[in-house]
Amino acid sequence: MNVLIFKKMSKYLLLILASLSFAAEAQEGPKAKRWYLPDHMKLQFAGGTGFLSGGPGYNSRNKKLETDFLFGYLPEEFGGDALITITGKTTYSPWRVALKNDYYLAPVSIGMYLSYTFGPQFDSKWPAYYPKGYYWWATAFRPGIYAGGKIARELTMHSRRRGLELYYEIGTYDLMLISYVQNTGFLTPGDILNLAIGLKFAF
Amino acid sequence: MKPVLRFLPFVSLLFFSSCDSLFLYNPNQVTLHNGESNLNARNIAALVSQPPPDTLRFILMGDSQRWYDESEDFVKSANKHRDISFVLHAGDISDFGLSQEFKWVNRILSKLHVPYMTVIGNHDIVANGPDAYRKMFGPMDYSFEYGSHKFIFINTNSREYAFDGTVPDVNWLRKELADNPENKDMIVIAHIPPYDNDFDRNLEKEYGELLGNNPNVHMSLYGHQHSFNDGEYYKDGVRYVVTTSMGARGYLKIKVWKGGQEVERINF
Repeated sequence: MNVLIFKKMSKYLLLILASLSFAAEAQEGPKAKRWYLPDHMKLQFAGGTGFLSGGPGYNSRNKKLETDFLFGYLPEEFGGDALITITGKTTYSPWRVALKNDYYLAPVSIGMYLSYTFGPQFDSKWPAYYPKGYYWWATAFRPGIYAGGKIARELTMHSRRRGLELYYEIGTYDLMLISYVQNTGFLTPGDILNLAIGLKFAF
Repeated sequence: MKPVLRFLPFVSLLFFSSCDSLFLYNPNQVTLHNGESNLNARNIAALVSQPPPDTLRFILMGDSQRWYDESEDFVKSANKHRDISFVLHAGDISDFGLSQEFKWVNRILSKLHVPYMTVIGNHDIVANGPDAYRKMFGPMDYSFEYGSHKFIFINTNSREYAFDGTVPDVNWLRKELADNPENKDMIVIAHIPPYDNDFDRNLEKEYGELLGNNPNVHMSLYGHQHSFNDGEYYKDGVRYVVTTSMGARGYLKIKVWKGGQEVERINF
């Protein structure tokens, strides 16, 4: 990867990090957190939801279940086509292992997502000039599954407990899964799996 | 280890990401690696660098859509024919119009001992398929000459364009058929046969007559129907030959010479 691409990438990163910190500022104040305010923000690289995707998320009370809404963007220089994707995802991390110095590990996470990609070339319902059932899948919606893990650190900033997590997810989506299941001779799991890496900032 | 160092692997992964399929940004992305672009033109260049035989033999296969294991077996079977000059893919390379599928099929067909050329199928036009096809294989309508024959490839997937009258591009076809100064025999290759329901009814007559009225057109080749078919459909001297799908484990071996042709069905 050359320097130019790295610079462009840092630009996108900075933009999203800036919006993250703005959201965090909005959380400040003595009053108790309102129910509709997000528990955390995530910023994710790859994973089928954009080159970078990010957005607010919510925790279950025991913090094992996270639900996130991601807004993703894929610039043409990385994807051959500029694509905007919105995604809803749910991640379940049943175990948490405490490490030294406020670090902890969630060794296993599993989850699923449903994404929607915008564009006139993508359909959620096939146009009327196709006979019923001509194609069976919608090109705009893509469901997927993944498994991964995360390492995190709890921080105390401005006398509030916060958390910073680094996570990875290895996943695939419906069209790849069905291709694999029917072609286990030619395709290997590596052909259909992809890696996502992300940061979570908990308020 | 300093906390900041813990993020080093993360940063280095980002660094190596641009040319690795380890990362997927969107299923509809069209990111090609070296050697994955302009495949039709490259393969034609490889073909025409070989001196053409008087009697030309080639294979017509098609509809590889989501039949990768079967397509691998096809390559094994096709490679046993030492007398063929090239392989034609009659379209529906992919099932979902994803560049990832085009790459898989190219990975399989590049194991052929001979070059292969493709024509676009209706499944290849789904989602970002047209963009992926153009970047990876080239124009949807194109032609090449080899020996005493001219091969004309045309997009006939009318339904994907809501039967708007633009597909197939009969004006382009008329020009291609007229551009034949050496009076070569011409073979038109497309995915959907003109008598199929997915072909524009309003263009069927014009298309059929362009072929039927041309003294140098004796045969036209198709896929799409997932079964073999062969006949002089419009009783006009043009033989319409349809190959089956990879799922049905069959293909055609075709022998052509000036003024004649022979078609053999092969199952693998």
